Amino acid sequence: MRALRLVPIALAAGVALLAGCASTAPEEAAPEGGAWSYTSGDGKTYTADEVPTRIIAHAYAAKVLMEFGIVPVGIYADGDIESDVGLQGADFEGVEVIGEEWGKIDVEKAAALAPDLIVGDWWPAEDAYSGLEGGVEESSKKIGELAPVVGAAQGDSIVELIEGYAELAESLGADTSVIEAQRADFDAALEEFKTAVAAKPDLTALAISPYEDTYAVAVPEYAPELLDLQSWGLDVIDPTTPDPEFPYWESLSFENADTYQPDVLLFDDRSYPANEETLAAQPIAKDIAAHAAGAYTTWPAYWLHTYPDYAEQLRDLTKFVNGADENLTD
Amino acid sequence: MAAVATRPRRSNTRIAGGLILSALALLAVCAASILLGSRTINLAALAQTDLTVILDMRVPRTVLGLLAGAALAVSGTLLQGVARNPLADPGIMGINAGAAVAVVTGILVLGRQATGASVWLAFLGAGAAIAAVYTTASFGREGATPVKLALAGVVVTAVCSSVTSAIVLADADALEELRVWQVGALAGRYWPVVLQVGPYVLVGLVAAMFLARPLNLLALGDALAISLGQHVRRNRTITFVVVAVLCGAATAACGPIAFLGLMVPHLVRLVTGPDYRWILAYSFVLGPLVLLLCDIVGRLVSAPGELQVGVVLGVVGAPVFITIVRLRRGVEL
Repeated sequence: MRALRLVPIALAAGVALLAGCASTAPEEAAPEGGAWSYTSGDGKTYTADEVPTRIIAHAYAAKVLMEFGIVPVGIYADGDIESDVGLQGADFEGVEVIGEEWGKIDVEKAAALAPDLIVGDWWPAEDAYSGLEGGVEESSKKIGELAPVVGAAQGDSIVELIEGYAELAESLGADTSVIEAQRADFDAALEEFKTAVAAKPDLTALAISPYEDTYAVAVPEYAPELLDLQSWGLDVIDPTTPDPEFPYWESLSFENADTYQPDVLLFDDRSYPANEETLAAQPIAKDIAAHAAGAYTTWPAYWLHTYPDYAEQLRDLTKFVNGADENLTD
Repeated sequence: MAAVATRPRRSNTRIAGGLILSALALLAVCAASILLGSRTINLAALAQTDLTVILDMRVPRTVLGLLAGAALAVSGTLLQGVARNPLADPGIMGINAGAAVAVVTGILVLGRQATGASVWLAFLGAGAAIAAVYTTASFGREGATPVKLALAGVVVTAVCSSVTSAIVLADADALEELRVWQVGALAGRYWPVVLQVGPYVLVGLVAAMFLARPLNLLALGDALAISLGQHVRRNRTITFVVVAVLCGAATAACGPIAFLGLMVPHLVRLVTGPDYRWILAYSFVLGPLVLLLCDIVGRLVSAPGELQVGVVLGVVGAPVFITIVRLRRGVEL
């Protein structure tokens, strides 16, 4: 009986203790960090007197922040969220959607959310954050006036991008052990991938996106995940003549689809399997050795933002590389 | 009397000679269509892939150009004759709009993976549209008069276009499919499509050859044709069925190709005069000739990519058509 009666007392004491912690914690944090600061993708350091809590983020940035435990109040996406291959597995329940089309953000809704931080990728080539690029409607760009805009820089590596967001998440109060666990799992997957690739030094890959009457070959220079794969030892072919106006791709007619003969084909996963069917319907498909041999898989095209996604993709690619024939073509 | 009889005969020789020359030109264009393209082929050193490109891509493309060109030009000729309207063409008779609405409805109902079915859907839609135009125009005692046919065509086009717009506004997949389909192209459609629509075009073309005499009589006006023993209503119906088959098949295979059905008969009349036996024979040759020429131009002007033949035909066709119309003689039926 005595013991049972003690329970509520212990609980009360616990609550008092917790309440004490809660009331003292911010007072301790304030003198240490001078509130909040973050060196963003554009190279500038942003500061605030209080750690931002009401965040509006581009959906890809939101996904990585949520992976690290920071939940935004609102998101805007480049297209339909449900069907976006880059947003699979993200749970945006309770997060307000203020845009589902590139260049269109409902700034009134955004203002109603009273954000104290806007987060999106920094695009060095365009000198702008996601949602504020050239071509975006002027009314949408007003979102940049609601709060400071920050984010990690798109560059030569997805790993650097993720690390930029890890830093942002930490500055916003994320649990570092969560970040470290994800990083460790990714590193393990990466080691397996490097080992698999090292075992097949002659393996060549071509990243493609066939559509309508065009056989589009991705230019790794503008695809950070392909640059990553190259830096880890996979020979992803650099096409020789990228399109002059839009150098992300070299667009070939299907008559010329045999220009590059890799050992394996990597299809743009955003439109797979439709793009594979498009190629299969072309008579020339039988003269592309890798396609004829069924030596193809997908590559995560232009959407990777999180360690768990990247680790999963690398594990799939590792399996694929292990089963690939590095001598399919000369 | 003798002098009067020899004059047309001499001009017939000239017209026949022109037809033979046109046929030779068509042969040359076919050869060019097989040899020219975004891929450079060296006939002296043919690789395996070169053979694939020639046999499985350029030959079916050329055959499709022959079929679609002949089908569209001949059906344009038939339509202008039967409707006695120099502006009649597959677009104005609601055929393209009917095919388009069938294609997008198919995507809406069956989903994106059903694109293989869109050839049949377009065929059905084109047939249904022309049936609707003809039936609507046939109400009333005097039957399908030129004015009523034109009005019915406008109405059916308007209805089909609004339905198409409503569907593509609501369904992004349908819009995407329509966007690709409605340009009108010979590229990317290989043997399967040629074999799907080829038989219909051939049957239609053979049937069209028997319609020359009825059309000549119809050109004199309904009353005179009837007094000369013609079954005007029956012949008109048969002609519309043949047009539906030809146009439906061509539109199903290539998408709506503007101008060809309108332009070629006018071009032909400049040479032949009003005799439908010659007009049909020339349309049969000049249709594919013009279509394949435009297709080759489209392949070469924007290399290494391609410009769809529908686009080239629109750009080239408009000024050519205006020139023909300004020559006046061509418009006379």
